[in-house]
Amino acid sequence: MQFGIFSVSDVTTDPTTGHTPDDTERVRNMLTIARHADEAGLDVFATGEHHNPPFVASSPTTMLGYLAGVTKHITLSTATTLITTNDPVRLAEEYAMLQVISDGRMDLMMGRGNTGPVYPWFGQDIRQGIPLAIENYALLRRLWTEDVVDWEGKFRTPLQGFTSTPRPLDGVPPFVWHGSIRSPEIAEQAAFYGDGFLHNNIFWPMHHTRQMVRFYRQRFEHYGHGRADQAIVGLGGQVFMRKRSQDAWNEFRPYFDEAPVYGHGPSMEDFTRETPLTVGSPQQVIDRYASFVDEVGYYQRQLFLVDHAGLPLKSVLEQIDLLGEEVVPELRKIVEAKRPADDVPLNPPTHAERVAAARAAGEAGATHVGDTADPYTGTVAEGTQPAASQEARA
Amino acid sequence: MTMSSGPSGIHPTRTLAVVSAGLSQPSSTRLLADRLADATVRELEDAGHTVRVETIELRDLAHAVVDAMLTRFPTGDLARALETVTGADGLIAVSPVFTTSYSGLFKSFWDVVDPDSVTGMPVLLGATGGTARHSLALEYTMRPLFTYLRADVVPTSVFAATDDWAASADDPGAGLPRRIARAGRDLAQRVARRENDGPVDPFAATPSFTELLGGS
Repeated sequence: MQFGIFSVSDVTTDPTTGHTPDDTERVRNMLTIARHADEAGLDVFATGEHHNPPFVASSPTTMLGYLAGVTKHITLSTATTLITTNDPVRLAEEYAMLQVISDGRMDLMMGRGNTGPVYPWFGQDIRQGIPLAIENYALLRRLWTEDVVDWEGKFRTPLQGFTSTPRPLDGVPPFVWHGSIRSPEIAEQAAFYGDGFLHNNIFWPMHHTRQMVRFYRQRFEHYGHGRADQAIVGLGGQVFMRKRSQDAWNEFRPYFDEAPVYGHGPSMEDFTRETPLTVGSPQQVIDRYASFVDEVGYYQRQLFLVDHAGLPLKSVLEQIDLLGEEVVPELRKIVEAKRPADDVPLNPPTHAERVAAARAAGEAGATHVGDTADPYTGTVAEGTQPAASQEARA
Repeated sequence: MTMSSGPSGIHPTRTLAVVSAGLSQPSSTRLLADRLADATVRELEDAGHTVRVETIELRDLAHAVVDAMLTRFPTGDLARALETVTGADGLIAVSPVFTTSYSGLFKSFWDVVDPDSVTGMPVLLGATGGTARHSLALEYTMRPLFTYLRADVVPTSVFAATDDWAASADDPGAGLPRRIARAGRDLAQRVARRENDGPVDPFAATPSFTELLGGS
């Protein structure tokens, strides 16, 4: 199982000091956090994508492209990439570029975004959220797998003879997850394509998560991608740890009480009981998170939210150290022992595994599209017509 | 609170959920709710049904209701109360009238109920207030709320002012017991005819991907 961290990139005042980082400080803190996670041996760093204050992560591929250059092992990902308000043509280009730059050390997760006003800023309408997610992703896949695309849909101008560059690394597109909290349609979409499904359950009780994951697994099997227990599942989570449980509880309480997302609502006692938020010792985190496999079946990626609610950078880095040194090695041992069978994937697929599978199936695409016709469609990229056809027209 | 009563026979058991938004203890709102429940149970038992009554005091759930508004998921006793309400065959909903309308707690509770979950459910409305001048609050606030929820609201709703409780049977206008009996009859007839067909499966309505793709 992979263990990593994901950030929503919120700028929040530290309630204990009154310090509010400016946008530059917050962005640089995220870079430090990601590099630290890499050094601590965590498997994944994922950034959110937001286009409104108090969030700063508006340009994920710029951030992840930089991180690809300064990290060594960690998989760079998103949580989530807005498949609704981004032009799928730009997504195809940007994430193929990131894939090439990171040498395949990346994947990405599609999400709809739940902030209504964001949609019109990008020319869209939140009431069309699901249809946008369906159409845009269908186009994105074609842009990655087909060299030259003729396309017409509802939500953007048609494409004629369009080739997205760079072509995916080794002719194999990045692995894609779909994140959803409440919409079974998105679990259905992930299952249809045999993609991963991440339920970001950080604000939700486990019985809800269990239902959503079960539905995705059943549909994954229905669409013939393997058995239900072979589907690729991820979960969210959030923790705050100190060696002594009571220290964690005392230190985190003011952050919990003032956090924009759950402050002034349920007590920390209630919230830690009902949701994955775990405040306590590393051993308590291990015990709690080891039980999730029993709820949703063996899953492949666990992401933790650690840098939110105004926590200072130093505390966040300490959380990452505790994860890397104490939690992950032990937790991994426990949960991987619960994997029901050898043919249940241990981890989400790596780029190398996907390339090997694509080549074995004869499905790896071209790594350059020049002046030759697409072998599937017989069409050529616009502006690169072979000399023969130009002569014929003249 | 659960009470089972009546003969078990060929008629299936019916479950009545009673939601009372009274704040004091004892509360006249709860008293009215119990009277309405008794009247309904009597009618259903006379028709041969076994009846289970589940009473929900919103006062006990007040903090959980606010938490659910902030977190968007209900927990603990509130989650169980919501299952009771949405799984019932009939509902009695009673609120005090505050500042010309049902109480804020009463409204907040219905705000966290899935709006599709009481569609078609027989509902009897009751309200309490200091004077009879508030009696129409039932008709201009409470009835529209349940009409929006597409519940099957019975024609008789019962308002009890302080005076109503004090009136002796001989007093003119001592109609409260009569109105309670009539309302119970109305609700019982509807509940006898209809059984709750279970919770809506949120996944059953999910279109297949082919439909999603075709619809985009």
